[in-house]
Amino acid sequence: MKPSRTLSPYLFAAPALAVFAFAVLVPFATTGYYSLNEWNGYGDMIFVGVQNYVDAVADTVFQTSFVNVVVYILVTLVVEVLVGLLLAGLVLTVRRGSIWFRVAIFTPVMLPMVVVALLWSFVYNPDFGLLNAALTELGLQEWTRVWLGDEQTALLAICVVSGWVFAGFYMTIFYAALRQVPSEVVEAARLDGAGEWTIFWRVRVPIIRNAIEVAVLLCVTGGFQSFDLFYVMTNGGPFHATEIPTTYLVQAVFRTGEVGYGSAMAVILTIVVVAAGLILVALRATADREGRAHRRLLAKAKEAVQ
Amino acid sequence: MSSSARTRLVRTLVLAALALMALAFFIPLVWMVLSSFKSNSAIFSTPFALPTSIDFSQWAIAWDVGNISRYALNSAIVTTVSVIAILGLSSAAAFAFSRYRFRGAGLMLGLLSLGLILPLQSYFIAQSTMFTRLELTDTYWALIIPYTAMGLPLATYLLKVYLDALPEELFEAARIDGAGDFRIYAMLALPLLKPGLATVAVFSALSCWNEFLLALLYIQDDALKTIPTGLLAFSSRYVTDYSLLFAALSIITLPMIAVYVVFNRQITEGITAGSLK
Repeated sequence: MKPSRTLSPYLFAAPALAVFAFAVLVPFATTGYYSLNEWNGYGDMIFVGVQNYVDAVADTVFQTSFVNVVVYILVTLVVEVLVGLLLAGLVLTVRRGSIWFRVAIFTPVMLPMVVVALLWSFVYNPDFGLLNAALTELGLQEWTRVWLGDEQTALLAICVVSGWVFAGFYMTIFYAALRQVPSEVVEAARLDGAGEWTIFWRVRVPIIRNAIEVAVLLCVTGGFQSFDLFYVMTNGGPFHATEIPTTYLVQAVFRTGEVGYGSAMAVILTIVVVAAGLILVALRATADREGRAHRRLLAKAKEAVQ
Repeated sequence: MSSSARTRLVRTLVLAALALMALAFFIPLVWMVLSSFKSNSAIFSTPFALPTSIDFSQWAIAWDVGNISRYALNSAIVTTVSVIAILGLSSAAAFAFSRYRFRGAGLMLGLLSLGLILPLQSYFIAQSTMFTRLELTDTYWALIIPYTAMGLPLATYLLKVYLDALPEELFEAARIDGAGDFRIYAMLALPLLKPGLATVAVFSALSCWNEFLLALLYIQDDALKTIPTGLLAFSSRYVTDYSLLFAALSIITLPMIAVYVVFNRQITEGITAGSLK
């Protein structure tokens, strides 16, 4: 359609672009500039080039924070994505009446993370927490511990909470995808004598591969950006056992006033997030191409045989 | 055993497993609500016992004295204004990008799409110094502006997909009838976009309602805090008054569950669409 006035399209797009540029693009560029300076937030800026980046890469706490967040991502891939997939498979076999189950499991996704974090820090509380009380009740007294205060368990404890929140979210995505799987395909497999377990892993899961790949992408890129749960439950402690990049850089910028250094860490984190996203998208594209080539080859082979 | 009896058995077992799982998911929430009716000493001594009476006095204290009502009001204001801004700005931009060809459109859309991949961490440090200089911190605007800006890219993208699917003839016909650009946007595009706008409203509202990091950095004044940061302040004010803390958590959680039970379809669709870019 031709605009009735040449300027109209610009007037429609301008407000959105202006707000976005003001609150995101300009600060994005400025954060990059800060990262090349030594600055405490109010005094003079001293240009130091890439020194902040050199320091960040050598900073053992910053390194630890990346190790922790990668461990967190790997565990959440299991307790969120894999568990979500299994739950979706279970729900699929019931269908009727499963709405209440889906409601129960999806509820935590909607809650503010601070609510979840406080609730679970009570569950883990050493004095009256649900977990220790349950273990004592079951006669497993020696298993009780200060879950969030123990370097051995703190990170894992947070992963469990993350699973409690997001397993239902991924279940919902997978359930929606699984319902799209054509029933003829499933019936055909069933006639061939395949059991439900085999049908799930060999027929249904390959068909919803797309949804699974998106889920992995979300889980990985979202994992690197975590903050709320960690900040409220442990704020990086004990002894950096749950330190992740964002808790550490927030500490640097807003507690110790190292704005330049914190910005450099923020830029590194951004590069990692964007790179992880691009790599996963590229992997998907390659797999797609190979899949297509493979199918073409199969089709040709079939033709040749016939 | 006949195959139909076996299927029924499997089905019952799966059902039982699901019920157990649902229970496991709900236990922390049930425990939270029950504990809000107990005294502190009962929370410590008998964690699994039912409360002796359903007493909402702690809820009332948390709501009034504890300021939860204030935080809820602030969240409502910030969320409402941000969502309206997101809907208005993104639908206009999506309309321009979808229905017109104009110079610079690709560049503008590309810039906006950066918002789909850039994490918050890539810009919030400078945003915070900027807001401090502009004296925006400790005002509602310190939250409304970034929430709107962060919501725009995905909203614009989704609404553009909706608009792209509409036939061009519809718009040409309106043009031939003499409708101007703004009239076509307001009288034709917006009504057709209703389902898309509803989806965008759902996930935008939830992310504004729940946002924590920026609220933590930009709002120090307790009278302006939203639910997430307000609750955190509340929890350090009443650090050992557990029954009051459980009451506050319940006040925030139960209405959200109620909203979800009523609108579960819309919310599920909104959230999954919101994340599946």
